[in-house]
Order: sequence, then structure tokens, then C-alpha cells
Amino acid sequence: MLFNDYPFLLVFLPAALLIFRLADPYPQARIPVLVLLSLAFYAYGNPPYVLLLIASIAINWLASRAFGRFKLRAIPLAAIVLNLLVLGFFKYTNFFAANLGWLLGEPMPHLDIVLPLGISFFTFHHIMYLVDLRRGRAPLYAFDRYALYISFFPQLLAGPLVRWSEVMEQFGRKVYVPTWQRDFAVAICFITAGLFEKIFLADRIAHNIDPVYALAQGAVVTNGDAWLALAFNIQILFDFAGYSDIAIGLGLLFGIRLPFNFNAPFRAASIQDFWQRWHITLMNFLRDYVYFPLVNARILPRRFLPLQSQAAMLITMVLCGLWHGANWTFILWGALHGCALIVAALWRRHGPRMPALLGWALTVIFVLVTGVIFRATSVHAALNIFEGLGHSLDLERGKHLLSLAIVPLFAFLLPASQDIIAYLTRRPRPWLFVLNGLTLFVILLDLGERNIAGFGYFNF
Amino acid sequence: MPVSAISTSDGITDWSRCLRACLVTLAICAALLFALTIAVDPYDSGKFGFFGINGVADRNTLTANASRARDPDFDSAIIGNSTALLINPAALSRATGLHFVQLSVVGGSPREELTVLDFFLRHHAHAGALAIGADPSWCVHERKDKPRPFPYWLYGRSRLVYAGALFSGAAIEHAVQRVQIGLGKRQRSDPAGTFDSEDTWPIGEFRNTNRPSDPPPAASTALRGVFPWVSELDDVIKKLPADVSVVVLVPPTAAPTVPQPGTAEATEREACNMALRQTVAGRPHSNFINYRVDNALTRDHANFIDYIHYRSKIARKIGAGIVASLRDGETAQIDF
Repeated sequence: MLFNDYPFLLVFLPAALLIFRLADPYPQARIPVLVLLSLAFYAYGNPPYVLLLIASIAINWLASRAFGRFKLRAIPLAAIVLNLLVLGFFKYTNFFAANLGWLLGEPMPHLDIVLPLGISFFTFHHIMYLVDLRRGRAPLYAFDRYALYISFFPQLLAGPLVRWSEVMEQFGRKVYVPTWQRDFAVAICFITAGLFEKIFLADRIAHNIDPVYALAQGAVVTNGDAWLALAFNIQILFDFAGYSDIAIGLGLLFGIRLPFNFNAPFRAASIQDFWQRWHITLMNFLRDYVYFPLVNARILPRRFLPLQSQAAMLITMVLCGLWHGANWTFILWGALHGCALIVAALWRRHGPRMPALLGWALTVIFVLVTGVIFRATSVHAALNIFEGLGHSLDLERGKHLLSLAIVPLFAFLLPASQDIIAYLTRRPRPWLFVLNGLTLFVILLDLGERNIAGFGYFNF
Repeated sequence: MPVSAISTSDGITDWSRCLRACLVTLAICAALLFALTIAVDPYDSGKFGFFGINGVADRNTLTANASRARDPDFDSAIIGNSTALLINPAALSRATGLHFVQLSVVGGSPREELTVLDFFLRHHAHAGALAIGADPSWCVHERKDKPRPFPYWLYGRSRLVYAGALFSGAAIEHAVQRVQIGLGKRQRSDPAGTFDSEDTWPIGEFRNTNRPSDPPPAASTALRGVFPWVSELDDVIKKLPADVSVVVLVPPTAAPTVPQPGTAEATEREACNMALRQTVAGRPHSNFINYRVDNALTRDHANFIDYIHYRSKIARKIGAGIVASLRDGETAQIDF
């Protein structure tokens, strides 16, 4: 079910709010009701896969209970491996088979595997909990609470990736306490902002650049439109930041405060700063569960620690790329960002101080250029776009390119949406909510045209 | 800044007022929109509308056809996609004494064209004649829908579904246009749906695009004679009163794309032609005409905009063929 579609906005969400309102006075009912609502949400798109989700929850929870009983560290480890194998099967089987076939010179059969929605995200949720459980940092939880941690519908399909410690204690709290009106007001602001970002910013760019990427699959883009392709990272910012804002707003409607995922990344003055502002919850996961363990492992002698740290950075970013999809483009994109982070770290230690404006410009250019590799369906298609940059853009199309001229300014100039919302909701402003109602009306009108596009991160 | 920092307790009443302001604004806007669209009936579908405004100002055949198809001034219709759009309804009306309306759907699929046909027949209990253009998409052996949104809600029977679809910016735009028509400040589109291709594609310009999308051969021998869309059309025609004349025609394409005799494509084409011919067999003043032939007219690129869209010279010939068929039935002399 898409957050930006009528079935969700006009049927599921009002029904879920009503049902949860009825359950709220009964402490024992709050978590089970939210779990059932979340499973219904997940089942809407592809009912059979809800069984996979339930099995995934049950197996991982049983593993945690078994660990609690027998204290065998191999149990959560086995569960983690199993999670990764399931993710690997759905996400990477055809990729590895194709590359194996290429190496052996014998084409391998292509399996018809459909990636279950959200599997990359709920697998990481399991891993975060199991790793911390194994380290002795996480307690055991009742089945319904664990099930809600994995399946809570606002974050189920595309995050934000939430650490168990951030939400477990929030589950089951009474939502309709005397201050609920303020939380709901803030929630509506987040949902409106998220829908606006998705529909009026991200989708407008996508409308212009999707044909360019389609063209690049077959040939060099020689009509000058290759320049438009550079706007992809702006599109994915508003697509995913929009999704994250909607998720945060929905979380608030059910009494859960989810972490922020973006912090105006295109205002970053260095690539390191960028990665602290972009998909923050994923980067926190990679930092805590991949990068730090790699750095802290005693692999190289102590005097080579900087080298080990740099290698860890490169590996982390390659895995970051591979997590986004089974394609060499993602691996190349991750490797380039890993290299950029290493170069930036070395520069900061050994080079002269970089003027902020120059740092910002270099960061933006690097991110936009590598974004082409991320979006292109193959390295060949990406090269077709880069080669096309030799042809100048046809500016006479004027108004058709307006969105590509204006939307990036939002990304470069505005603070993060959570900061804007925090500023606007410092005190009650009824006029702001009249405006909010009007904006929601316009959004619903736009959705009525049925030009609904899925969120980009559903693919990852 | 964490969310907790922006959600400490404050004047609860004021926050309630904010929530109310948002929801009331949304509700008022939605109510006003529904009031406007239901009062005006933006697409002139006949399902709503209290002001008696006639017609639409709409060049989009997907939506404009609803208004034309229910217009009581017409009793006969031309159905098809863009390959039938140039057939002039006024010329057919003059020559036959019937009242033709052009209901072709640009880019239309058989399912969409059958939907428009059904809508026309629902609004004309006593239809005069039908001219149906069946391009290669009718000859598929298995039903497959086009991946594009078609406003089935506009041509369906449900007022509720139609009302739900009126919650859109396009509906507001159409409603405003209809109000302007009602106030006499805007000209309605031609009620008969006449289309002039020379407006859009200047004479002398042939575009090397739009080769006819002949369907792939049948996957099995069992499927070879199966044409589900033709069967559906056959069912519709069989239910028509005997005095309704029907001309089914295969639109011409530029000669290089006509299947060559002896080839598998020609065999497939002939099988489809047979099925189409059966839909009108035995019906008085009705006929099947295959204009997809290799002759001097189709060899001359000056008679085409692209491979499948012919110009007015050929359109006039097709019109004459329809007129002759409505007069003489299967014995009509087709000059092509």
C-alpha cells in the first residue's frame, strides 16, 4: 500500500486511527491491534508475502527466546546468517548467477524471483536486535512487542531504520493523553510536508528525467538532455525524505516517535558531512554494525590502523551500494563514495583548510555525478549519459525545465523539514493549519489524477 | 531536533483549534468541489448536472466522447482509434440521411472502443448505423490491456464511481470550461467530433514512425482462430436490432506494411479478416471492408501522415465505402 494513494489515505489510515482509538483505553490491546493493522497494511500489496513476514518475526523471536534460555551465542548468530541468506536469496540470486555465468562463460538461468517489499529493512531490524542481544545489550521481549518492532507499518517498507532501543519502550503507551492534540498537529505537518516533497518535488523531476535514463539504456543521449539526468539525486532526496517525513508523521499518530532520516544533505560542506545528513538511520546502522566492527577487529598490526580504517570505510560503502540493489552500478557507486570519504578524511588531516563554499560545490557535484551511476540501469547506460554531457542542453524548452531549475534550490537552500516544522509549530497557529488543510486538498486533487508513482526506496 | 522537543504540552485548546482548522478546511474544500462538479457534470456524462449545459470544450477524445456519445442529435457512430478518426461524420450524415458522430479514441484499444460503443448504445435505444474501424490490435489471440489509464469510470453505469473520480484537478478544469460554455463565454467543441489532421500534420510531411502493431502469431493451433476482441464485438453486434446497419472496416496502412501474400503474417491477417467478416454476415445494409491492401493509394506516401495514419484523400474514399455499404450491403462497390 502506498502512502501517496487513496486506499491508504482515505481508507486504511482513517480506519486504523479509528480502530486504534477504540483500543487505546485498553493497555493489553494497544500492541496487538497495531500489529494486526500493520500486517493488514503489508498484506494489501501481495498477501502471500505476509506469511514470509510472520515467519520471519516468529523465527527470529524464537531464536531470541532460545538464546535467553540456553545462552548459546551461536543461536542469534545462526539467526543472523539465516536472515542474510533469505535476503540474499530474494535480492542477489540472479545477480550472482548472472556473474557466475559470465565467469564460467555459460549463461545461467534467470529465476523469476519477486523481491518482497521491505525485506531489506525488516532484515536489518532483526539484525540490529540480534547483534545487540548477542552482545548482552538487549533484553528479551514479548512476542507482540517484537512483532510490532519489525512490522510497525509506518516504517515497515522503507524505514527509517529504527534501533530497538529507540522504540520498544514507546510501544503500548497510551496515545490519547491530554497533549495528543499537539502531537497530532505536528504529525499532520509531517505528513503534509512528506506528501508535498514526494508529489510536487520528486515526481516533477522524475517526470523529466525518467525518459532520459530510458533513452540511455540503448544509446548515447545526444539531445542535450543528459544534463537533466544529473538531477536524479535531488529527486531521490525528496522522494525518500518525503517518505520518511510521512512515516514520522504516521508514527506520531500512533504515539511513536521515529528518528529523522535526512538533515538537509545538500547543504553539506563535505562528503563526510553529507553522509551524516543523508539516510541517517542506514548510515548509523552501517557505522555501528559494519564499520566499527571492521575497524575494531584485530586484522592488521596497530601501526596500520589508519589503513584498516580506510579499508573498512571502503568495504562499508561498497556494502551500502550493494544493499541498494543487485547491480554493478550500485557497487561502483558505493566504491566511489567510499573512496571520496577516504580522500576527504586524508585531506582534512593533511591538506589545507577547504573554503566552505568550495567544499559545498565539490560535494554537490560529486553527489550529483555519482547519482547518475546509481540511477542508471547499467554502467553502459551511465556512460551513455556522461558521454551525452558533451552536448549542451536545449534551454528553449523553458517552462518544461522549470521544475529542474527550482526544485534543486529547495534542496540547496532550505533547512531540513523537521527544523521547518519545529519552527512553525513552536506555538499553535490556526492559519498555518488552514494552509495545511488547503495543501492536503491540493495533494488529494493531484492524486485524483491517478498519476501515482511508487517510492524509490521500495526497490531497495 | 528530536520530535520530543517539539511536542511538549502547550495550550491544548489552541492545538485542538489547529486540528479543527485543518480538517474543516479540507472538508469545506472537498464539499465545494463536489458541489461544483456534481452541479456542473464536468464531462457532460449525463450522470449529474443541474444547469442544462450542453457539450464540452475538450480535445481529448478519452473524455470528450462521453458528451458526444449521449447526444440525442446523433443516431449513428464511428468507433475506432486514431486510425478511424479522420472519417468525416458530417459527410456520412449528408450522404446517408443518418446523423453520425465521431467517437474514435486516440490511442484506443479494443476494450476502450467497446466501452465507448456500449456507452453510445446505452444512450441510443434506436441506433441508425455503426462504422467500426478494427486496426491490428483487434486481431490479438489473447486479451491484454494497454498500460494506460482510461476513464472507465466516465463510461460506466455507477454514479458513485463517477462522483469519486471527480475529485481531481482535471475535473475542476472541465467544470470551469462547462460553466464558461453555459455563460456563453466559451465555444463548445464540435458536437460531431470532426477532426482535421491537416491542422496538426501539414500536408507533404511523411513521418517514418508508427508501423502497424500486428500481433504475434498464435501460440498454438488452438488459438489460431481465436480473436477474443472480435468475439466480443460479435456479441455486441448480434444483440443489435436487425435494422441497425454495421460496417466493420480494416483501416489502410502504407503499402510497405501490408502483409505480403504467402507469408505467415498474411495468413494471420486473413484469419482475422474472416472473423471480422462474420460479425456482420447476413445483417442487412452491412458490410466488412478490408482497406489494408497494397495499391496505388497506399503506395503513395503523400496519402499518409505515417505508416498507419492516412490523410483526408483516403479518408474520403473510406467514407464513400461506408456510404455504399450502408446502401447496398455486402454487394456494395468499394472504390479503393
